[in-house]
Formats: sequence, C-alpha cells, structure tokens
Amino acid sequence: MPLRSIINTARTLSYYTRLQQTTANNLANVSTAGFKGDRLTARQSAGDPHPVPVQAIDLRQGTLRDTGRPFDLALKGDGFLVVQTPQGERLTRGGSLGIGNDGTLVDNHGDAILGSDGPINVSGRRVEIGTDGSVSVDGKSVGQLRVETVADPSTLTKEGAGRFIPGGATQAATSVTVAQGALEDANVDPLLGTVDLITIQRAYAANLDVLKTMDGVMGTVTNELGRV
Amino acid sequence: MNPGLRTSASGMIAQQKMVDVIANNLANVNTTGFKRSRANFEDVLYETVQGPRTSAGDATVGPMQIGHGVRLAAVTRIHGQGGPEQTGRPLDLAIEGEGFFQVQLPSGDTGYTRDGSFTLSDSGQLVTNSGAALVPNIVIPPDATNITISESGSVSVTSGKNAQSVEVGKLELARFVNPAGMLSLGGNLYGETVASGQPTTGVPQEDGFGRLLQGTLESSNVEVVQEMTDMIAAQRAYEINSRAIRAAEDMMSSISDLIR
Repeated sequence: MPLRSIINTARTLSYYTRLQQTTANNLANVSTAGFKGDRLTARQSAGDPHPVPVQAIDLRQGTLRDTGRPFDLALKGDGFLVVQTPQGERLTRGGSLGIGNDGTLVDNHGDAILGSDGPINVSGRRVEIGTDGSVSVDGKSVGQLRVETVADPSTLTKEGAGRFIPGGATQAATSVTVAQGALEDANVDPLLGTVDLITIQRAYAANLDVLKTMDGVMGTVTNELGRV
Repeated sequence: MNPGLRTSASGMIAQQKMVDVIANNLANVNTTGFKRSRANFEDVLYETVQGPRTSAGDATVGPMQIGHGVRLAAVTRIHGQGGPEQTGRPLDLAIEGEGFFQVQLPSGDTGYTRDGSFTLSDSGQLVTNSGAALVPNIVIPPDATNITISESGSVSVTSGKNAQSVEVGKLELARFVNPAGMLSLGGNLYGETVASGQPTTGVPQEDGFGRLLQGTLESSNVEVVQEMTDMIAAQRAYEINSRAIRAAEDMMSSISDLIR
C-alpha cells in the first residue's frame, strides 16, 4: 500500500510541476498583446482512480488599450483574424500589424493578414478599418478582413507568436467588433498568477511531506516488521 | 531541470528590453523630430505533450501544451506627428504631415530625417546640424538678408537693396510605403531598407506630402506620462517573473532534499 501511495504522490508532484510551468508561461507573457493564458485543471474520469491533468486555453477577452496607431488591431468578442503563413492558415487575435514593402497588411513576421479576397493592399495615406472589418484607404474600400471562429475551441493548438492552429473547420464570426488603434492586453491577471504560484509551492511541499512519510512507513515495514 | 525557470527568465529578459526601449524614448523626449518606439512581444514555441483528443464518452479535451515563455517580436517605431514648437528661427522647418527631408550622407547614400533645424555651411549650402547637405542642394547667396520658405517648399531670398524676393530653390520631401521599416541611423537620420520600400519624392503639400512650417520645429512624439506608466508596469512584471523563478527554485531544491 505505501508503494502505491508513493507512486500516486509522485504523479501529483509532477502535476504541480506542470502547473508551475503553465503559470510561469502565463506570467512571462503578461505584456504580450493578444496573448491567451492556459488553464490546467485536474479531472477525475470514471473508472480511473487518478485525476488526470486537463489543459484548456483561456479564451476570455483581454482589456483593450488605446494606442492611436492605425495598424494596431484588436478584436472584441469571440473570433480571430486569419494569417497566411508558409505552413498554412493560422488564427490570431490581432496585435501590432504593419505594412509589407509591397504595401500589404502584414503581421510582425511579415505574413499577410487575409481578407475575403486574399492579402489586402493598404498602401496609401489614411487607412481606416471599420468595426465590421472593412478596410478602406483614403476613403476607397480595398477589402474586408476575414474574422472567423471555431466551433470547438478545445481543438485549437497554440503555435507561438500569438498564432493558433485551427483543429477543425472555421466559420465567419458574427459577433466580433474590430477595434483600430487599440491592442488587446494579455488576459493573464498577474495578481492571481502570483497567488497561484504560492498555492502551487505550498501544495508541492505538502505532497512532498506525504511522500517522505510514506517512505518512512516503507522503511519501517521492510526493516522492522520481519524482525522477531 | 524545471523548464519553468527558463520560461520565467525569458519573461524577465522581455521586461528588461521593454525598459530599455522606454529609457531610450525618455532620453529623447527633447530630441527634435524623434519618433518613439514600442516593444512588441510574442509567445514562443509550445511543446505539445498531447494533442487534442476525445476521451471516452466525453467531450473533446484540449491539447496539453507547455509554453516556453516570451520573446521580443519587434520594436515598432511609431511615426505619429510630434507637436510644433515655435522657434522663430528662419532656417527651422517642421513637416506637418507625411514626408522626410533628404540629406546627402558622407557615404554617398541618401539619409532621411524629420529634424528640420538647418544651418548654412561656409559655402552657403543648406545643411543639417551635422553638416550633411540637403537633397536637392539649396544655396543661399552670401548677400541674402531675408530667407522665406513657403509651405510648399519654395525657398526665396531678398538680397541687398533689392526688395523683390527671388526664388533660389525648391525643397523636396520623400515618402515611404512603410516608414516603420526604415533603419534608425542615429543623429535623427533614417535609412532606406528592404522593409521600408522605395522612396517616392515630391513637393510639399502635393500628393499627400505634408506642408512645411518655417520658424517651427517638430518636437518628439514621446509622452512622458505614458512612458512612466509603461515603465511601472514593466517593473512589476519583472518582479512577478522573478517570484516565479524563486517558486520553481524552491520546488526543485526541496525535491533534491529527498535523496539521502
């Protein structure tokens, strides 16, 4: 019995290590525009005595911060912009965009942000992006941003650089507002994150104590019990 | 080794970069024509421990991914207009709107600047503070008494007893598709890059070029209050990441105590 407990406690310790890593990654990205935190929970499924860690991307809205820079885009509501990357189409929550040297709207990596007819040429003097995602340059319409949602958010995989790989089909978003001249702050609460860190640290120490106790019990069982 | 340590370290490095950028903005708060920069961050590669899956009789379970922190994605220069500052000096020029003055660099390349505090060289050429001549070259006759520069860039002088002003040259401006892609050369100068695209030259007030204001300088577009607030935020985020390192370190040291 003590051996089983030791194994279970070790699994719990590894869960807390992973939780610490997830929290550390959330906190490292506290200043990353459009970042969505990860949530790690333990779930007990039927027929299995051990809780299994379950991870989910926290897709809650981040606070919008006004910057006044015309190429800063943020989204309000459940949806993503679409980026054309060499690996295929990716989803992103927007951020600090810019113009490529060919005049198209691109992200930090120079990959095109897609409109309904492909990349959008925004070279001109005054670029206006409407709340519905319509793009006009000097008063002339030049395209419509693709804003899409996924049916099941749990199929999303993070790729880094604020990009998500859609696991299934995407469809046009209906309840999203595009905000020009604004950035979406990371949806990570640094205060809650710090509290989480303390909780994790304490829970880890407590489980370690359990492990030590079980180790002591094992020692007694093997060394003392057989003695006459 | 707990990878959380490196993750938190990347968070501290990112906030350090943020403070570096803010410090440079603040140092240039009184630099003519200076454009503030902003640090942009992005999350780095994720290690996918387990892909999305459907557990028995359950809904889809999201993928299990471990993030490895943050990195500096870009330092974006923000080419917003700086406020006009009246100086009354005839050779001070501010551009209101788009465009850059072009200057001849010692290397033979053309440099671009928003700093219009010009002076005259010994041969009467209009030059920048560092002595680089304007392109196109403008020479002011030695006997000129009054220099007038119009909003569209026409430079005219009156000389001697002649009350009639004579045009001696026309200033031109250059514009880029993506000014944020230009390279800062220091000395308030920018250089053309692949990212900025080719320059388009033209006359002020035409084709979207800004107008020139004589006797005025463009102040830097740094807002001290905003920079200070950003700095406080960066400082706190730095502390929180160092706290995460301490937590990870504590966990690691207690597990290593297990071995007797």
